[in-house]
Amino acid sequence: MQTTADTPATDIVQPSTPGEVAAAMKRASDEGRSMVIRGAGTKMGWGRPAARIDVMLDMRRLNRVLTHAHGDLTATVEAGATLRDVNDTLSRLGQGLPIDPAFADEATIGGILATNDSGPLRHRYGAPRDLILGVHLATTDGVLTKAGGQVVKNVAGYDLSKLIAGSFGSLAAIVSATFKLFPIPEASKTMRVAVADEASLTQVVRRMMGSQLEPMAFEVDVRSRSTQNPQSKNVSASAAASAFNVLLRFASLPVVVDAQVAGATEALKGIATSIDVVEGYAERMLWRAQATRLWDGAGAIVRASWLPASIAAVLSELPAGAELIGRAAIGAGLVRLDGDEAEQARVIGQLRHSPHVGNVVVLRGSAALKALVDVWGPQGDRQRLLSAMKLAFDPNGVLNAGRGPL
Amino acid sequence: MDRAFLEGLRRIVGDAAVLHDPHDLLTYECDGLAHLRETPAAVVLPSSTADVQAIVKLCARAQVPFVARGHGTGLSGGALPVPGGLVIALSRLNRVLHVDIANQRVTVEPGVTNLEITRQVAPFGYYYAPDPSSQQICSIGGNVAENSGGAHCLKYGFTVHHVLGVEAVLPDGEVVHLGGALVDTPGPDLLGLLVGSEGTLAVVTKITVRILRRPETVQTLLAAFDTIDAGGGAVSDIIGAGIIPAAVEMMDSLAIRAAEAAVHPNFPDADTILIVELDGPAAEVSTLFAIVVDICRRRGATTVEVAQTDEHRARIWRGRKAAFAAMGRVSPNYYVQDGVVPRTRLPEVLTRIRALEHASGLRIGNVFHAGDGNLHPLICYDERIPGQSAKAVEVASEILTYCVDAGGSLTGEHGIGADKSCYMPAMFSPDDLALMQRVRLVFDPRSLCNPGKIFPTPRLCGEVPGPYRRHPAEDAGVAERM
Repeated sequence: MQTTADTPATDIVQPSTPGEVAAAMKRASDEGRSMVIRGAGTKMGWGRPAARIDVMLDMRRLNRVLTHAHGDLTATVEAGATLRDVNDTLSRLGQGLPIDPAFADEATIGGILATNDSGPLRHRYGAPRDLILGVHLATTDGVLTKAGGQVVKNVAGYDLSKLIAGSFGSLAAIVSATFKLFPIPEASKTMRVAVADEASLTQVVRRMMGSQLEPMAFEVDVRSRSTQNPQSKNVSASAAASAFNVLLRFASLPVVVDAQVAGATEALKGIATSIDVVEGYAERMLWRAQATRLWDGAGAIVRASWLPASIAAVLSELPAGAELIGRAAIGAGLVRLDGDEAEQARVIGQLRHSPHVGNVVVLRGSAALKALVDVWGPQGDRQRLLSAMKLAFDPNGVLNAGRGPL
Repeated sequence: MDRAFLEGLRRIVGDAAVLHDPHDLLTYECDGLAHLRETPAAVVLPSSTADVQAIVKLCARAQVPFVARGHGTGLSGGALPVPGGLVIALSRLNRVLHVDIANQRVTVEPGVTNLEITRQVAPFGYYYAPDPSSQQICSIGGNVAENSGGAHCLKYGFTVHHVLGVEAVLPDGEVVHLGGALVDTPGPDLLGLLVGSEGTLAVVTKITVRILRRPETVQTLLAAFDTIDAGGGAVSDIIGAGIIPAAVEMMDSLAIRAAEAAVHPNFPDADTILIVELDGPAAEVSTLFAIVVDICRRRGATTVEVAQTDEHRARIWRGRKAAFAAMGRVSPNYYVQDGVVPRTRLPEVLTRIRALEHASGLRIGNVFHAGDGNLHPLICYDERIPGQSAKAVEVASEILTYCVDAGGSLTGEHGIGADKSCYMPAMFSPDDLALMQRVRLVFDPRSLCNPGKIFPTPRLCGEVPGPYRRHPAEDAGVAERM
């Protein structure tokens, strides 16, 4: 959990109706007061360090599941509802919103959508931007608007729910959102596939991407030996510094899960040094540990993207001690960097120059690191559009206290 | 359009790639929505991004409105020319630029057809998922503009879920790159906004899509029912069982007869047919398929026909995908809408459409994506009979109000275009539309890029834009608004 950038002068506004959100937005804009919109505050430390914050718009009172149209596989929820509460409600009818972002137990729908944050489930279900159907927004002119709709298929008008995904609260406040839901699979098993080195890791990734197996999650996991269980053994010379794993989760009917696990085991024979299969409690604990491991460690955390088949080239850019967890077939994930800020900044610069890596964004980093590097990275020829978009939504420049990306 | 402007175009693309002879312009008067026609002042056929850029800059300087056009298969008049404006036809931008099987990405120019992408990667066991019925001829650029769906989007999503990046020329002629081969461009999802913006924000000149591995197994069945409600009940049960089929399609008797006359798919002579397709791992498909067959039987299916071969499956799909064009076999003219309703409200909305059919005297065929509630009512009329064209439009607008009343949408995949812009106030408030307009002006401050689409204008929609007109059926007391 990050500490907030509140200063003693910050007013906290806690609206409990959409109208109150809109009024708070307008007031801040009219008075030229800097405002940050927050949910659970789990990602408050992401982005550039905040400048002065006059108003904190706390969305947590808007926390209801407004509708669960289970026959239509949709739900409309308020921005301040936590993902966990939403999924608790939806699961009563065997459905869920399949998103597993960072801090998934506390994070709110609004915060998850504003950051478009996702986790291993992205492999099958996509990121929040892929699951959202419609959105209600409050803009700085105090107006409540909607875009998209409440049905799973709709192309009427501009899809502003996409525009708001990844906007980090820089354009408008999300009041509520409608999502596409999925049935919760009956059974699930996860394979932990250990491999000796980068080359074998690449081989596993390529082989699974080219196979007709359909995992629910497909992760690459590179961990530093220093954070490993000291009992680990059989460390090969080529992998002295790191341990390489692939996680494959299969979820469907029990018979299907077993067939897929058998198929994957067969496909990976001869490449893997070991394969463990876990289910039930052990499986839940495994994914829980995956979700928190990088965040629990020290150092900076950056988000990066890569060409999935070039994972070895990505790893070759990372220094010993760096760790990576990501979506193997999508080519996106998190990297944890050790060392002092100068070293972290050097690696970030190197990643940004690599032909195999892109979209490197510093999520967690010390103030010193964030002073040394461009947190969001260059926006290229998009910058002009982004600046114009910011001006159109937030003409007085009051939203998000300079944290970016807009 | 003045001589200097035409000269400017010729300097960019050469004489042969500028059309302004009235005879040459005929092809470009309309898209797949043939009852809306406008003659453009000229058509230009660029061959490169640089050409597009120079053309758009010329338009910006001369304040000439322009409309980008792919292969003209759209069904909402999205490529309808602007009177006195330029059509930028992208058919010569038709190169496949990069096929990267290992990373499952393909980069193409906008004039490449949807199916060509699959053709390129099929030898490696891959395909491009969105499959609009027109996929053999429609352009991927048009798919991006309209956020096209298709029969399989219930499971696989729409164009927006499969496009990773585009290169586009903004309305001032500057080139912008949104997304790319790598995911997670930082900041607001401008790419997601652009996809489905109906050509009103930019002219897309390169597109990177992701391709999918062919599923291990595909199974398709065709079930016949005596009533549309029985078929709809089967769909509800399938979804209720936690099954997400690759496709769930329904056709009514008129659509079945039309398809049979056109492409002979050997459909049963039934009130309603349901096509269900499952794909994925063999163990999953065989288990779930048995459940689906059982559901159809329990819901009273009169026949359940399981496709035994790829050829058999292809024949079923040929019948389904030909349904629109096949209407020509049973009616001189037809008008297709694509409103969406929450799936659970399909029976009620279909009942209202039936009542409207009887009240209006116009036959209405129904073909729809039953899994996601996307209707495709085919309104039959004869333009030679005075008043019928207008009546068809009225009937269509009435159906759209049913969809919006039920909490649905004006369009599931065809787009608003010029066709439905006047109905936008039924779904969106003036504030909603004003915000969208504000977004539009960020890209196109001078409104030169496909103007007159999506947004209602007083010129096109009358002084008071709005969908509500009393329908003759209401006046006759045989229908009422709920």
